[in-house]
Amino acid sequence: MKRKHYLIFAAGGFAVILFLVLSQQIINYTSTDEFCAACHVHPHAESSFKLSAHNSNRSGVSARCVDCHLPPEDQTAYFLTRKAYHGFHDLYYYVTKDMDEIDWEAKRTVEASKRFVYEDGCKKCHTNLFPATLDALGAESHLKYLRDPENNSCVKCHLTVGHYRGEVALTMEETVVAETELYDKPATVTSFQDFTEQIPGTIVSFDMVAVKGGTFNMGSSPDEPYRRPDEGPVREVLVNDFWMAEIEVTWNEYLAFFNATGSQGRKEAEVSEADEEVDGISGATPPWGAPDQGWGMGNRPAITMTHHAAETYCRWLSSATGKNYRLPTEAEWEYAARGGTQGPYFFEGSPKNFETDGIWNKIFGPDTAVINTYVIYQENSPYRTQPPLAVNPNPFGLKNMLGNVAEFCLDYYDPQVYAKYPQGVVKNPRGPRDGLEHVVRGGSFKNSAKDLRIARRDFTRTKEWLETDPQIPKSIWWYSDANHVGFRVICEYPAQEINEETKN
Amino acid sequence: MDKNQLSRRNFLGKSALIGAAGFAGLSAISSCSMNTKKVDYQFPPLLEKAPDGKKLRAGLVGCGNRGTGAALNFLAAGNDLELIALADVFEDKVWDCHGKLEKQKVEVPKNNCFWGFDAYKRLLDVDLDIVLLATPPHFRPEHFDAAVQAKKHVFMEKPVSVDPVGARQIIATSKKAETMGLTIVTGTQRRHQRDYLETYRQVASGAIGEITSAKAWWLQSHVWFRTREEGWGDMEYMLRNWNNFCWLCGDHILDTHVHNIDIVNWFVGKHPESAIGFGGRVRRLTGDQYDFFSIDFDFGNGVFSHSMSRQIDGCANSLGEQVMGTEGYTNCKNTIYNPDGSIKWQYEYPKNKDGKSTGIVKVSPYVQEHVDMVTAIRENNPIVEAERTAISTLTAIMGRTAAYTGQKVSWEDMLNSAERLGPENHEMGPVSKEFPVPLPGTQHKA
Repeated sequence: MKRKHYLIFAAGGFAVILFLVLSQQIINYTSTDEFCAACHVHPHAESSFKLSAHNSNRSGVSARCVDCHLPPEDQTAYFLTRKAYHGFHDLYYYVTKDMDEIDWEAKRTVEASKRFVYEDGCKKCHTNLFPATLDALGAESHLKYLRDPENNSCVKCHLTVGHYRGEVALTMEETVVAETELYDKPATVTSFQDFTEQIPGTIVSFDMVAVKGGTFNMGSSPDEPYRRPDEGPVREVLVNDFWMAEIEVTWNEYLAFFNATGSQGRKEAEVSEADEEVDGISGATPPWGAPDQGWGMGNRPAITMTHHAAETYCRWLSSATGKNYRLPTEAEWEYAARGGTQGPYFFEGSPKNFETDGIWNKIFGPDTAVINTYVIYQENSPYRTQPPLAVNPNPFGLKNMLGNVAEFCLDYYDPQVYAKYPQGVVKNPRGPRDGLEHVVRGGSFKNSAKDLRIARRDFTRTKEWLETDPQIPKSIWWYSDANHVGFRVICEYPAQEINEETKN
Repeated sequence: MDKNQLSRRNFLGKSALIGAAGFAGLSAISSCSMNTKKVDYQFPPLLEKAPDGKKLRAGLVGCGNRGTGAALNFLAAGNDLELIALADVFEDKVWDCHGKLEKQKVEVPKNNCFWGFDAYKRLLDVDLDIVLLATPPHFRPEHFDAAVQAKKHVFMEKPVSVDPVGARQIIATSKKAETMGLTIVTGTQRRHQRDYLETYRQVASGAIGEITSAKAWWLQSHVWFRTREEGWGDMEYMLRNWNNFCWLCGDHILDTHVHNIDIVNWFVGKHPESAIGFGGRVRRLTGDQYDFFSIDFDFGNGVFSHSMSRQIDGCANSLGEQVMGTEGYTNCKNTIYNPDGSIKWQYEYPKNKDGKSTGIVKVSPYVQEHVDMVTAIRENNPIVEAERTAISTLTAIMGRTAAYTGQKVSWEDMLNSAERLGPENHEMGPVSKEFPVPLPGTQHKA
């Protein structure tokens, strides 16, 4: 019995060894260049390889197909799976496809090469990234590769080293340097389409979205959760076409205005800061402290400017660009924010789902997956403004209508104004003729979900927002105590003019 | 670039301090210990003289006062060390240096003396083992790479470049030198100074706890400058007044203050992540540089270093470094203080014959760095300091850029910056490029 066991054991061992030897033989055989060339019948692969630096070089060393086109053998599992994958993949294409129909040119790109060139294969032989004769360009590129191997690769620069495509000088991808050319003229607009405004004499531009006018129901119905009395009665309102800025006015844009019109500050003779000059626009006085609250300027929405400053900005922008920029009316703002929708938000969901005050949500937490992608608000802002591109746009392509910062409107605020408009469809309403405070719309990074509702109305609080301004008189340009309000510009649609132009 | 890539040997945690004996075993143990703090402490043997060995022949590129001094420091480092070639951009500088060396009984063969912008290339053709690079730092990246390609060991003065492009070039060449087994020493002599090294050893073993902040200052009166002489073209004038032009010198935040910055980076164990700072020019007569800088280097996690450098006469002048920790602080040079200001530890200097402390280290650090270099070469135990000095240089450039522009400048900015200072071509004669004094921010509007 023992002897039999021994024999079985020996036979088994022998079989294993034989299997291993044979598999090694098979792997070796199927890794030869001849084996590759048996299917890869396109002659250019072989001929271009023969001319390449990986075959025809001073060292006398020639690479094999698998050196580059498979992972190194010492990564056994990965090597075998990739080998099997490429084997079956190539065989399938060889049998089913017409070689002439394959777009070889498309495979000669850095992007495509990632599918069949293995970086570890490069590095298996090229162990020294800094050979003595490496030139300055190579040194820069290899340092860049070491810093960020994810976004750089060997073939990004050395694309044709395996297959010769003529002499190619090595180049490094230029680091993108910010465009510093100043715009010499504003954007020219010839039809009612989205356009990119450029502010002459600056490097600042911003996108304007064409909003086709129409009729909509302004306000919220009495059954909307968290509704306030000033949001009704719901009225049918018509607004004309207009362009609206895709994002809230950024610090870059606002500083262009500030730099162009900024003044020395208050002068002795003036009782209050005069803002009207005969032949120009006198802009804001220099602010105290950091108007950006230290959160950063750049693309973040500009904040802490007064409603008056925002209107002055629009007048300046109009004269700089030769167009009619202004703050949106409350009706235009709501029409744009709705983007054709009729609910509390332009996206799915009820404020009840997003708020934390119900018992259910108190225990389990609100489901904020959807709202998070559209709005910068209390839950995701960490209590400050955020760069505008972090959120998805509404159906009209406008971003952050309901969050990041609240926005000034043109109208004076009157809580009963919806009821005061004449019967029937209200056309282009502009609010009450007079007032003290202006309408503010859209929530901010400080608000929770209930105050982000489209119909929610708010208003400036001049006294409160200047509470800690220690100067007398207090500034007409900067709020000392409101860091959650900015604004968005609209451009009036000069239908007449554009029609004239298109006729010509 | 992580600190641990900088040093040839990384010793881990406190156990490394037990001693040089068997450090391979120790580092293996401490790498598993919980409280591992990677430190950059090379154990240079700190010999008083380099061991005897094969003859080493050096050539000097940059024949000014520091270059001449460096050459003599090199020759004082051991036996069988020779200086056999000189190169400088100006012929008179070469012969001036040649004469000074003769007085010290150093004979450099006259046919090995070269001048002109290409002089360094001809010097590299001479059969040399070591090249001493002591030109204005603008030329260092180019000279260093050529020297390494020529397979020479290098002693080079700090700073190692004047702009980010140059600093990165030094880092790349440094990596070449490492793979080639060359030795590179960089003129950051505090790192070869016995008192600094001993203090570092104390701090790395936890003498002041966790490091929380630092300051570094180099406040001195004005340094040399040259007004233009008749017959000097633009290029010649700038070269002869190189210490006052940023493209040649890098400004004094590099030229001198880089020493202090290097110490802070060494003790903190990394380079800062960003810098905000300011500077200005109120007293200078020539060139395009600033008189003063004040930079806040941010190392992240609340750790910062205040860096001050100034060159104005008649002010409160001093220089040094201070590093604060949770359990005390140090002047980095020779003393550890308890939080209450009492002295916890002090470096023991050699005593004079009356038994009093001399207050100076046994071997001048300017010689010690050459002793360490020659030792590394002769014992085939190469050290490469170029990358870490490039990182300290780039730190200083980050501070300078913050002051010049008024912006917050990050390490990432430095790694991506395409800034390359100086004229396109190196040739004598007129230079059309302007070198205005940098102005941060924008002008007020009246």
